[in-house]
Amino acid sequence: MTTLLTPLSTASQWGARLRDPRYLPVTGTLVALLLILVVGQLRYSEKRSFLSMKLFSNLLVDNSYLLVLAVGMTFVIITGGIDLSVGAVVALVGLTTAKLLIGGFPLWAVLAIGVLVGAAFGTLIGVMVQYFDVQPFIASLAAMFLARGLCNVVSVESLGIKHEGFAALAAWKLKFGEGRESWSINLSMLIAFAVLVVAFVILHHTRFGRTVYGLGSGAGGNAVALMGLRAASTRVWVYVISGTCAGISGILFALYTKSGFNLTGIGMELDAIAAVVIGGALLTGGGGFVLGSATGVLVYGLLQVVIAREGLQSWWTKVLIGVVLLGFVLLQRTLSARRSRAT
Amino acid sequence: MNDQQGLGPSPVVEMRGITIEFPGVKALDGVDLTLRAGEVHALMGENGAGKSTLIKILTGVYQHSAGTVRVAGKDVHFGSTADSQAAGISTVYQEVNLCANLSVAENIMLGNEVRRGPFIDWAATRRAAREHLARLGLDLDPRSSLDSHSLAVQQLCAIARGMVVRPRVLILDEPTSSLDKAEVAELFRVVRALRDEGVAILFVSHFLDQVYEISDRMTILRNGQLVSEHRTSELSRLDLVQAMVGRAGEILADVSERAARVAAAEHDRTSPVLTAQGLGRPGSAAPFDLDLFKGEIVGVAGLLGSGRTELARLLFGADKPAEGTLSVQGDTRSPTPLVSLRRGVVYSSEDRKKEGIIGDLTVRENIALALQAGRGPLRRIPAKELDEVVERYLAALQIRPANPDALVRNLSGGNQQKVLLARWLATQPKVLILDEPTRGIDVGAKAEIQKLVTELADQGLSVMFISSELEEVVRISERILVLRDRHVAGEIHNGPDVTVDSVLETIAGRAS
Repeated sequence: MTTLLTPLSTASQWGARLRDPRYLPVTGTLVALLLILVVGQLRYSEKRSFLSMKLFSNLLVDNSYLLVLAVGMTFVIITGGIDLSVGAVVALVGLTTAKLLIGGFPLWAVLAIGVLVGAAFGTLIGVMVQYFDVQPFIASLAAMFLARGLCNVVSVESLGIKHEGFAALAAWKLKFGEGRESWSINLSMLIAFAVLVVAFVILHHTRFGRTVYGLGSGAGGNAVALMGLRAASTRVWVYVISGTCAGISGILFALYTKSGFNLTGIGMELDAIAAVVIGGALLTGGGGFVLGSATGVLVYGLLQVVIAREGLQSWWTKVLIGVVLLGFVLLQRTLSARRSRAT
Repeated sequence: MNDQQGLGPSPVVEMRGITIEFPGVKALDGVDLTLRAGEVHALMGENGAGKSTLIKILTGVYQHSAGTVRVAGKDVHFGSTADSQAAGISTVYQEVNLCANLSVAENIMLGNEVRRGPFIDWAATRRAAREHLARLGLDLDPRSSLDSHSLAVQQLCAIARGMVVRPRVLILDEPTSSLDKAEVAELFRVVRALRDEGVAILFVSHFLDQVYEISDRMTILRNGQLVSEHRTSELSRLDLVQAMVGRAGEILADVSERAARVAAAEHDRTSPVLTAQGLGRPGSAAPFDLDLFKGEIVGVAGLLGSGRTELARLLFGADKPAEGTLSVQGDTRSPTPLVSLRRGVVYSSEDRKKEGIIGDLTVRENIALALQAGRGPLRRIPAKELDEVVERYLAALQIRPANPDALVRNLSGGNQQKVLLARWLATQPKVLILDEPTRGIDVGAKAEIQKLVTELADQGLSVMFISSELEEVVRISERILVLRDRHVAGEIHNGPDVTVDSVLETIAGRAS
């Protein structure tokens, strides 16, 4: 299936691509990522190299749920929408998973139900946005309250998951290396990676994916409709994808914490949005890349690592994220201003 | 050019007796349209003539209530745009309706892209896009994003998209409205190439020069009815314009009024109130000069889209001029609406409902708006002063009902226009720019507005009077600026020998 991938071109073509206005925001994200890595390498390498497989392994262990959320959010943001419900859906799916496992349901059914809960919320938002013409902000806000409220219906206190099969899934990993340099790949990382690859292929190699971009080109997707593409169903599907990703993310988060809790994921949707924007997506729609969003998640995670290494309080992460986000939004403004002047 | 004998090639599309009604109006009444293979056919008419309605029936957006549509000899009835496209009719809309953020290849091919299973075969898709572009003589990188190209190229990409399905009929709805001269030439080269391949092309434009350059035949509509169909080479521009504009049935009898005014027009012509030098803005109005003197009424005539409103917006500062200077009694600040308002230039816009009155406010509030805006938000107009102003204009303009607390949306069109006029007059302006002040109001109210304007001019107000009704422009103006295709094509000093016909000649571009 090599034809699926864009033919690997020469270095100069890649250079030209990185300077293409379409990819400039992502180039900015890559530069930011490299900058943090270089600074980290220079500052934190006394005992052993900061740059290591272990660093990335830990980053992904801590952030695979966020990566999946960001991938789903990328679809929505490319169409010019927003999905505020995902944090609450993560909590609801985690709690549902915990409750059902405690209730003795088979593991495979519980996992399927978890993903379906997410997809159901996505469908709800998509239908509200497309057929009832509700703004995505309001539709997903309503879904967020609904999901958060339902969390309390399921349980008001934290539910630990002691299910054996589930614990086995959480503990499963491939180990590499020896001693202090050892690193591993766990199930969450594999799932997140699979979601990322599938999303990339859908967005860049199917008509549906290109329609998603077309929807974000302005005028409420009118151009897409006039081009005879399926504007309406695509818009619904985008939210279904985001909801499904939230469902998967909820399970990953439960694997990570081995519990469900009604107050998890408060503000997590904003983390996802921040990662997507840092990754180069335009909140006005029409631009964005899942690979960019993945890079955004890495930047986000690395900033947390840097803060920890500096010995600062963890809330400094928020300050730093705010600064980085501001920088990227300003970069985008200048880019789009320059583009509109150019045409 | 392309002059066939007899009836020419066989018709691809035959629309006969097309009638469609919208609630309360007959938008089209028994209209015929015939499109022939290998011909460019122009559809002509002023705004509201029914051009776009007719196109929408052909593209399946609307369904006609009476009449027949035949495509390639077969009776058809389009229930949707998909039906029309399946019958081989492609449309390129006025605004480029493509996705600017996608690549050229995607914009041309999406929906017809080459696929391998569920996945797009990008290499083949790009190759196909390149071939379609090459057919139009374009050499673009199919990977480049659409918005990295000029509007003209984007328009050509839209045509390329339209040609992917190999249509029999290509509808170009105002394709040139945002293009410059060189870009139009490029577009026309492509249109001619397609015509020579045997495509029937329906061309809609309000640029007469372009219509004469490109079309072989034309159909003229007016007020939802067919006026006539002609060979382009057999119809003079003057006849075309007359056929499009028609003669408004009612001739207001007050010609004497105009004669008297023109005779009495002995103004101080030494120092103009307003002077524009080389004022212009690309895509809106070509640079023009204008001197407006105290107490003068200057009419502005031209077809729809000739740049009448654009000229007014430049003078007021609603659009920022890109070049030239504007001075109002020696004040040369660059115009913005607020600057204009404060130095006594006011603009009553063409679209009364959208850019003029605020329907949910009362008559009093609507009149107070501009006055208050001129004073800034902090210095509120004292209630007593406002009441006096409102009373004065209600009486002077005979606004009915003479109730300052009535909601403006409940007033008739003519009275709404008077409220708008009162709003601007309350600021004691020196220059009043009126854009279509009599559109959509009844004959009596029209006459009242015209009388009011002449009276105001007598009191020393300078007026720019823009109207698509030539009769009223000729009746009340002392000078008439004639616009064509976004530039000032001539200036007529009004006098007894100036008639609607002579103005039409200048509009059509036949005058010296």
